[in-house]
Amino acid sequence: MTWVADVTAARDAGAVFFDFLTAVDLEADGFEVVCRLWDPQARTEHLLRTRCTRTHARVPTLTGVFAGAAWHERAVADLFGIGFDGHDTVPLLLPASFEGHPLRKDFVLAAREARQWPGAKDPGESDADLAVPRRRRAKPLGTRDWSP
Amino acid sequence: MTGYPVPASSRGIIALDENACTSCMLCARECPDWCIEIDSHKETVLEEGARPRVVHVLDRFAIDFGLCMWCGICIEACPFDALFWAPSYDHAATEPAGMVHERFDLRQWLSEVPPGTP
Ligand code: SF4
Ligand code: SF4
Repeated sequence: MTWVADVTAARDAGAVFFDFLTAVDLEADGFEVVCRLWDPQARTEHLLRTRCTRTHARVPTLTGVFAGAAWHERAVADLFGIGFDGHDTVPLLLPASFEGHPLRKDFVLAAREARQWPGAKDPGESDADLAVPRRRRAKPLGTRDWSP
Repeated sequence: MTGYPVPASSRGIIALDENACTSCMLCARECPDWCIEIDSHKETVLEEGARPRVVHVLDRFAIDFGLCMWCGICIEACPFDALFWAPSYDHAATEPAGMVHERFDLRQWLSEVPPGTP
């Protein structure tokens, strides 16, 4: 519970303004949950971080420390698929029928499947050169790897 | 630039220094929104006393500001200091295609970049 304890300690030490909470997908290293607090007296910012694994993507909720963290945790639950122990995260941004978590790096973005990635061209190439098949081409994030 | 005055260091629009650009494609690959389109071709330069050299010649450089989110990643990614923030901001268009600015516009905005900008 050091996540909740650390945030509580920072708040009690003066960082009373809860700015935001979000997450970072570290791929094989799991997820980092990040929370930014602001101390309006000292005019200092506090960036607090915690980690969880992909297989057990859960961290304790901060809603007991800052009630306003609820929306942020609901958004992170939608977009990253991270659960918050002690907070029943109702979907905030995505429809209930939505499948997947679009801010996870392995999420396939449909629009990117349909469009040609501008970075596929190498220096010295134009769109016409893309018609020529080549073994190694740069690949973008957010798309499926179609290579055999 | 017209309208309300803004600081010269504002993130208004992105300017391109075509002479510095090597068509390396890094900005187009790093842009999270896929809004930079670059076409180039190869040319061989023959100089006396030197071996023939292949250079990349820029054919098209366009940024779709309808997709751009002003993150500045392209500017930071460019290893040749060819991209800069310019303060000009009034570039609204009446249709999406009007938000795509080609190298002619991007080059013009270079004159607004404050001196000493990294
Ligand atoms: S500012 Fe960001 S979104 Fe806009 S062109 Fe550059 S990298 Fe792409
Ligand atoms: S990163 Fe810089 S040099 Fe490379 S293509 Fe983009 S603008 Fe040109």
